[in-house]
Amino acid sequence: MKVDLLLAVLAILGIIGYVFLFLGTAEPRHRHGNLFLTIVAFSLIIMVMAGLFVQWPAEFAWQEVTAFYAIFGFSAFTFLIYAAKGLRLWLSKDEDYYKKKGV
Amino acid sequence: MIGWLHPGFILIIGALFVPLFKGKWKQAYLIIPPLAALIDVILMYTGVFGEIPFSSWHLPFLGYDLVFGRVDKLSFLFALAFSLASVPVMIYSLHVKSSSEHMCQLVYAGSALGVVFAGDLITLYFFWEIMSVASMLVIWHGATENAHSAGFRYIMWHIAGGIILLAGIVIYIASTGSITFDAIGWNSGSTYLAAMLIFLGFIINAGVPPLHAWLPDAYPESTVTGSVYLSIFTTKSAVYVLARGFTGFGPLMWLGAIMVIYPIFYAVLENNLRRVLSYSLINQVGFMLCGIGMGTALSLNGATSHAFAHIIYKSLLFMSVGSVLFRTGTAKITDLGGLYKTMPLTTIFCLVGAASISAFPLFSGFVTKAMVVQASAFGGLAIVYVLLQLASAGVFEHAGIKVPFFTFFGQDSGLRVKDPPLNMLFGMGIMAFLCIFIGLYPYPLYQLLPYPVDFDAYTAPHVIESLQLLLFASFAFFLLITSGIYPPEGRTISLDTDWPLRLAGGKFIWFVKGPLTSFSNWMDGNVKRIAADFSLLGGEKEERVFIGVSVMLALLFLAFYLIVELLYQWIFS
Repeated sequence: MKVDLLLAVLAILGIIGYVFLFLGTAEPRHRHGNLFLTIVAFSLIIMVMAGLFVQWPAEFAWQEVTAFYAIFGFSAFTFLIYAAKGLRLWLSKDEDYYKKKGV
Repeated sequence: MIGWLHPGFILIIGALFVPLFKGKWKQAYLIIPPLAALIDVILMYTGVFGEIPFSSWHLPFLGYDLVFGRVDKLSFLFALAFSLASVPVMIYSLHVKSSSEHMCQLVYAGSALGVVFAGDLITLYFFWEIMSVASMLVIWHGATENAHSAGFRYIMWHIAGGIILLAGIVIYIASTGSITFDAIGWNSGSTYLAAMLIFLGFIINAGVPPLHAWLPDAYPESTVTGSVYLSIFTTKSAVYVLARGFTGFGPLMWLGAIMVIYPIFYAVLENNLRRVLSYSLINQVGFMLCGIGMGTALSLNGATSHAFAHIIYKSLLFMSVGSVLFRTGTAKITDLGGLYKTMPLTTIFCLVGAASISAFPLFSGFVTKAMVVQASAFGGLAIVYVLLQLASAGVFEHAGIKVPFFTFFGQDSGLRVKDPPLNMLFGMGIMAFLCIFIGLYPYPLYQLLPYPVDFDAYTAPHVIESLQLLLFASFAFFLLITSGIYPPEGRTISLDTDWPLRLAGGKFIWFVKGPLTSFSNWMDGNVKRIAADFSLLGGEKEERVFIGVSVMLALLFLAFYLIVELLYQWIFS
């Protein structure tokens, strides 16, 4: 029960971090802008710390790596954006591309 | 008890009476068919003390017994999802005045329920085709040139899929002698061919790449409410039939794994929010197909419960983007931004949908997707597991960040529009409530799943793993966008697998309009000229022309037959 409560707190902190990241990014000049980002940073640190106390399942070897999923999430996202930036040169066309082709 | 009442027929017959009502009466009436269908489905469940009754409608057809109503755990779950979603979606679309739009949408929803309850392949095909046509009409109600042409392209895909399915069904019935729709064997001879054709017909409707291009092409072109309906039924009924017929089919797992990855790149590139959500839809269906392909009890539970949760949060996302479209007249990221100040409620609903699809703990996607991912881990499928996790980051990128951020936060567009009308807010509110309810309290949903559930999503590793992944992905987003690396949206579209087809189609139409028409005019001229030579035979001029043309047609057919016959002899001898 105690663990459940702790997890719920973590999850709520996660949601708060998620929303405040939006606010902080969208309104960098807001008078609480720095506060928003501090909360986000706090939630990130807490997530990594929480991971240290967890007995990870051992289905795959990489789950032993400290903060594996944090690293994975960060690098997967970055990879995705860079890949999309590359694909854009090849796939993105003007909005009326098909119209100009007459189809 | 008067026996079993088909909820699909409630919607389809209910649709017929829509034009009889006007104004407030119409709004009052419109809510009745979906509500009645939902109550009908729920009563099916509680009717026999927790046991699901197996009652059927039988109808003889060509000597076969058609089964319109097969109710078991699998069909019940999908029917419940469809009818449960129909009610808030109807509330959301109550302001729409067009009777025909409501009728098409109700028939579409009803035919999807027909597919779900179909116990045999003929009934399945019957409702499958109604669903195609009804959904095309839903797209056409977009009433723009784009909607019109996208609707045509849509129906071409689905007619092709339907014919393939029909061919498969005919061969299947001929070789097995049975029309029952159950797990479809693919082991030997003609059954193998039949199973593959049926499978192909199914995956076209599921939107498996590279056969998915109709989906992001057509769904964004419908009306505000039409897109919400479209996001629910076609793909999920395909998930249902695949779960019924092809559980544990290995290739399906790999198709699902490709399907979760392929669209996430497109979703990053797209400017039209509804198209982003369409790609996201393909990605989510990928999780389900992957789970069905794995074929373990856990993965199937995951796939079906994910379909249930997905129907709710995806329609919520389409609703919130629809509300923006409704108020601003655009769903393009380049025109939007900074709406959260004036549309606070829509923003919150969108964020609930976004958190659900991204599988944040406490939201619906978390408790369902975890099962599919966990099943891949238990199965030791490392590659699939990594692909699914990568796709989770991808979903978070487009649906969790891109859609809410660039619409409601992001660069201020200067648009100052209010939240949508009360009925739309109410519809979204119900969906948002369901997202959070399933997330917090998944046990009622777990009880409805095909297999007994021995799974708890809320374990420490699971929650922390998800939160780490999501929050650090959003941290990457923060770094990329503040450093200007994140690609800014442009007024672009992205070429997809339909590119060669569309260009070839354009060339074909050019060929028909140009060279072929000229050639046929030239031939007509020749025919008339030669026919006139028959004037030597005497009689009225029209008669002579008629005789001449007949003789020439007969000669043409004979020549054609001769050529075919010779070719046949040449090839097969």
